[in-house]
Amino acid sequence: MSVFVIRRLLQSALVVLVMSLLVFVGVHVVGDPVEMLVNPEADQAEIARVTQAFGLDRPFYEQYGLFLLNALTGDLGLSFVYGEPALKLIVQRIPATLELALAALLMAIVLGIPLGVFAGLRPDSKVSRTIMAGSILGFSLPTFWVGIMMIMVFAVILGWLPSTGRGTTVNLLGVDVSFLTMDGLAHLLMPALNLALFKISLVIRLSRAGTRETVLQDYIKFARAKGISNARVVFVHLLKNIMIPVVTVLGLEFGGLIAFSVVTETVFAWPGMGKLIIDSIHSLDRPVVVAYLMIIVLIFVVINLVVDILYSILDPRVRLRDVKA
Amino acid sequence: MATVQQQLADISVAEAGSRVQTPFERFRADFFASRVATGSLYVLVAIILIAVFAPVISPTNPYDLATVTVLDARLPPGAKSGDGVIFWLGSDGAGRDLLSSIFYGLRISLGVGIASGLVAVCIGCVVGLTAAYFGGRTDSVIMRIVDIQLSFPAILVALVLLAILGKGVDKIIIALVVAQWAYYARTVRASALVERNKEYVEAAKCLALGHRRILFRHILPNCLAPLIVVATLQTAHAISLEATLSFLGVGLPITEPSLGLLIANGFEYMLSEKYWISFFPGVALLVAIVSINLVGDQLRDILNPRLQR
Repeated sequence: MSVFVIRRLLQSALVVLVMSLLVFVGVHVVGDPVEMLVNPEADQAEIARVTQAFGLDRPFYEQYGLFLLNALTGDLGLSFVYGEPALKLIVQRIPATLELALAALLMAIVLGIPLGVFAGLRPDSKVSRTIMAGSILGFSLPTFWVGIMMIMVFAVILGWLPSTGRGTTVNLLGVDVSFLTMDGLAHLLMPALNLALFKISLVIRLSRAGTRETVLQDYIKFARAKGISNARVVFVHLLKNIMIPVVTVLGLEFGGLIAFSVVTETVFAWPGMGKLIIDSIHSLDRPVVVAYLMIIVLIFVVINLVVDILYSILDPRVRLRDVKA
Repeated sequence: MATVQQQLADISVAEAGSRVQTPFERFRADFFASRVATGSLYVLVAIILIAVFAPVISPTNPYDLATVTVLDARLPPGAKSGDGVIFWLGSDGAGRDLLSSIFYGLRISLGVGIASGLVAVCIGCVVGLTAAYFGGRTDSVIMRIVDIQLSFPAILVALVLLAILGKGVDKIIIALVVAQWAYYARTVRASALVERNKEYVEAAKCLALGHRRILFRHILPNCLAPLIVVATLQTAHAISLEATLSFLGVGLPITEPSLGLLIANGFEYMLSEKYWISFFPGVALLVAIVSINLVGDQLRDILNPRLQR
């Protein structure tokens, strides 16, 4: 077990290192590094100072080492636009993105599982066919376009929901959250649904397939033969058993939610990390872009590492195969 | 002895009576057995024809500065322009006919999606075949890289690259290729692993044929079925991804107005209820993606040996 964890840790560190090299080379080779590091309005003295400070006159490997050292101490440069440390700006935006992603995850579970179970229990009914057609559409619809259409219908035409921002936030344990106020909830509803759409379709498919397999099992037949009520068979015997694959896949897909929140946050002007990176790309705020790329890679590597380790605990075959290979 | 000959004769007579289907005929019959798939294929062919012949069939040229005028800006669907041309789907903020813009946009969207798919297929084939054929350390190193890449969502990979490279047709194609090649490599490797141990490969090795010849002339043709399925579905994905990235403003430049950019242009007019500028390009994008997906699903059902009846 520990061999497996150590191997995976080393591999994760290697991935982060390679990504940092890629980002560094990308930023420094594709563009002019001085231009990346100083404010476009800087004068000659400032350019000379930055060239000196970042060691741009030194060999490449020394420059990269310096970049890594600074990154390790949390120094990823100052934002041109906000004049604050890039890292701090991004960390401040993480709670908003996490709130959106978690709300979407919750919606995927609350809407997806009942619809999927229903479609699995009555595969030939009209309602089930509609649900499945809807889930195909959910897979194919481009997220950003659905978001725009949702704003059009619910915010502009019907005027039911606000179209942008987080609304009133409440400070909970030092973090601003939207879901505790009615105004915040109203702001959260549309973006969360938009982000959840793809995952709802996925959960519908998974729970439908699981239900169709499970209803044929002997223990379900036995439970029915014992005269247990339909509700108890479905909610206890069936649901417990289809939850395993659904929970596994949703756990794996959580990273996808964070990645796709870039799109949803841009459409709904939700002030999270994703909106920040897009704004920063547009305003050429390169320190923030570099910092975002490093942090998002780190987040993903951590998610993947946790999933891998959990898997190896649940399924010993994974770690045995890996140690042998 | 005579009876055996008699039987053989009977068989040949029976074969002559009901002509044996060629594999392609069987494939065609299977494909058109589904009405949904047939319809999707027709829609897809129509979309490709529209994209190819966009300059010929468009009512106006939306990028001809001589005819486009701001006086026609934001006309609702069905309105008549100053020149007397009817804008069936309305016009955008610069006075361009939306229907024509969509035709031209399809050209760019499909072009980028297909071009990136072709390059990714080539890279994926070479990498996947190499991994499967040589096995051992080569295989485990390559597949570890593929696994790591696949643990990042495609949109994130593309976003990281575009944040570094900047906008441009070549850049978005590079980003889409990098985001996709691993799927192809994994698919090709999986089927090549099965083919590698078959007798015809052994025979080819005994004839002392070169590695390259065995890989590309013997093994690759037998791995095509799953590759075609994945390529179809991935192309739909690439088109959707390009539209998303262009909408975010990190994909194509304003000079290459794909469907994603058309939708982005309409976004600012949304709040004044001018829905058509974003709505119709989105519908075109949706129809293209859904038809490709449905055709791909049908191909998968036919070509997957595990589902064969």
